[in-house]
Amino acid sequence: MNAPAPPANLLQASELRLAHGGTTIIENLALTLPPGRVTAIVGPNGCGKSTLLAGLARLHAPGGGAVLLDGTDVQRLPTREMARRLALLPQEAGAPEGLTVGDLVRFGRQPHQGWLRQWSSDDRRAVDEALSAAGLEALAERPLESLSGGQRQRAWIAMTIAQQTPLLLLDEPTSALDLGHQLEVFELVCRLATRGRTIAVVLHDLASACRYADYLVAMRDGAIIAQGPPAEVVTETLVAELYGVACTLIHDPASGAPLLTDLRRLS
Amino acid sequence: MNMESLERFTPWRSILAEARTAPAEDVLPPLGHWRLAVGDISLLVERRALWVGALLLLALLVVSLAYLALGTGRLTPPAVWWALVGHGDPVATFLVQELRLPRLVAAWLTGAAFAVAGCLMQTLARNRLATPSIIGIDNGATAFAVASVVGLGTSLAPPAMALVGAATAAAITFGLASGGDTRGYRFIVAGIGIGAVFGAVTQLLLAQVPIDSANAAYPWTVGTLNARSGGAILTLAGGCAVGLPLALVLARSLGNMRFSDAIAQGFGVPLRRRRIQVLSLAVVLTALAVAVAGPVGMVGLIGPEIARSLSSSRGVPLIASALAGALVMVLADLVGRLLLAPIELPVGIVTAIVGGPWLLWILLRPSRNPA
Repeated sequence: MNAPAPPANLLQASELRLAHGGTTIIENLALTLPPGRVTAIVGPNGCGKSTLLAGLARLHAPGGGAVLLDGTDVQRLPTREMARRLALLPQEAGAPEGLTVGDLVRFGRQPHQGWLRQWSSDDRRAVDEALSAAGLEALAERPLESLSGGQRQRAWIAMTIAQQTPLLLLDEPTSALDLGHQLEVFELVCRLATRGRTIAVVLHDLASACRYADYLVAMRDGAIIAQGPPAEVVTETLVAELYGVACTLIHDPASGAPLLTDLRRLS
Repeated sequence: MNMESLERFTPWRSILAEARTAPAEDVLPPLGHWRLAVGDISLLVERRALWVGALLLLALLVVSLAYLALGTGRLTPPAVWWALVGHGDPVATFLVQELRLPRLVAAWLTGAAFAVAGCLMQTLARNRLATPSIIGIDNGATAFAVASVVGLGTSLAPPAMALVGAATAAAITFGLASGGDTRGYRFIVAGIGIGAVFGAVTQLLLAQVPIDSANAAYPWTVGTLNARSGGAILTLAGGCAVGLPLALVLARSLGNMRFSDAIAQGFGVPLRRRRIQVLSLAVVLTALAVAVAGPVGMVGLIGPEIARSLSSSRGVPLIASALAGALVMVLADLVGRLLLAPIELPVGIVTAIVGGPWLLWILLRPSRNPA
């Protein structure tokens, strides 16, 4: 008997149209997240990055086209199965008051638990691993409200890690963080990708996207205008097109990643 | 024969043997929990929830004993016991078994039903003000029940009418709050408006009918355990027997639904379906309780509030809410019976006198958990 092939967890959008109360935000979009890589989605405010991420995570029903997970329309997947395969950390994540870091991370195990399976050895292991991956072991019993912004963000990421999904979507996970905490989050994200997870991150900051992403998706007005490895797609023309900013492109002597200098607003 | 029976038991034996010899993997439970596990089945018991439940149960039993003992014709606790088991003197037995016990049971059931419905709605709306009484479900149930009591061309019994009224009020409120969005003030304000309309309908009905019919319907407008009908109590008992376990089945999803929608869905909660289930359950429990006691919906606010202040914030305290609701109801009715004896104060008035200031306090106190 042939064993069924293990799911490749390939997430694709095809001819995707997403609308918000009558306004079309994304039209005819095609995208495949490269497996086991970090994909950064960048673009100016209001270009539809977050909408795309929510659409990929099945939070918005498409007005046309489809999001496919291994070829199956995600709208036809049960919510629970989807939750075992894809985790999303939205930009404004709200938790009930009074939870500790450990409580929050344990909630990530919900898709794997049930009435007769409330706390298995797998759950314990996943929570411990997630806490240690995010460097939060020492803070596990601290209330979320008592943490700094960076620590809290790491706690949320730890929650999605504990969910142990092969696909992980993060919406601006670093936007409220200072430089040190940003690096912490990016390094964590890259580590997760090297362990085989497919990750998509919506980012404000093109520089970090160039530095940490394997694959870059540049969006404007609800369409993808360029995609590929940052070193190949980021050009002075693209930056001008995306943000209306002129710049000089050099290469980071340390990493070889594209680096923008001499920024001026085009008018 | 012997062989056959042996064979029949073998699977069980091997399962037991396996359970004994399986590597005893000690899975450390999260802090503050006990883990009970057999094979692949594992349950987590939060210690605090257990203590809170035990405490509330004990308080409920003590207050219930006082409820059976106190009143016109005071009994000692041993006398209550003998009357309960049917070996007391006839007067005490009559007092306890015929008069006080049925009313006590009605108080338990209505209190638990109101409080669980309140807890469900508050969790659904992520707003502590969104109890069935405040968003007009009580008033809808009352208006329809009163219509049936004053004989307004319908043959449906009050419980059925209350159910129709509650469902109508809930449907209109949800419709006005534009569909699935149960969050924020639009929903609450729509509910308050609907509640006011149904309250006015009740008054209008009472003003239109002869004074005797209006008197018969009066208990419905204040909320009292004095006018309960046996049939309504049985219906409520049935509703609680099915509804409370159902609420517990929904508890896991409810815990997740306290997070924002995107996250709750990310935890695998089919939100739209769960919302309809939670709302329906809250409407049914409220309607059945209103059919017994009238609109004593304040318990739906006080019960969950007590439960939440005692419990941890890890889950939704449904069991504690049920116990606290029953406790409040028994206590309020006891006070109503004793305070101005021999005149009886309707339980709805007692809970309103306590609940009004309570509501103000919730609104005005420095918010620890903004809802």
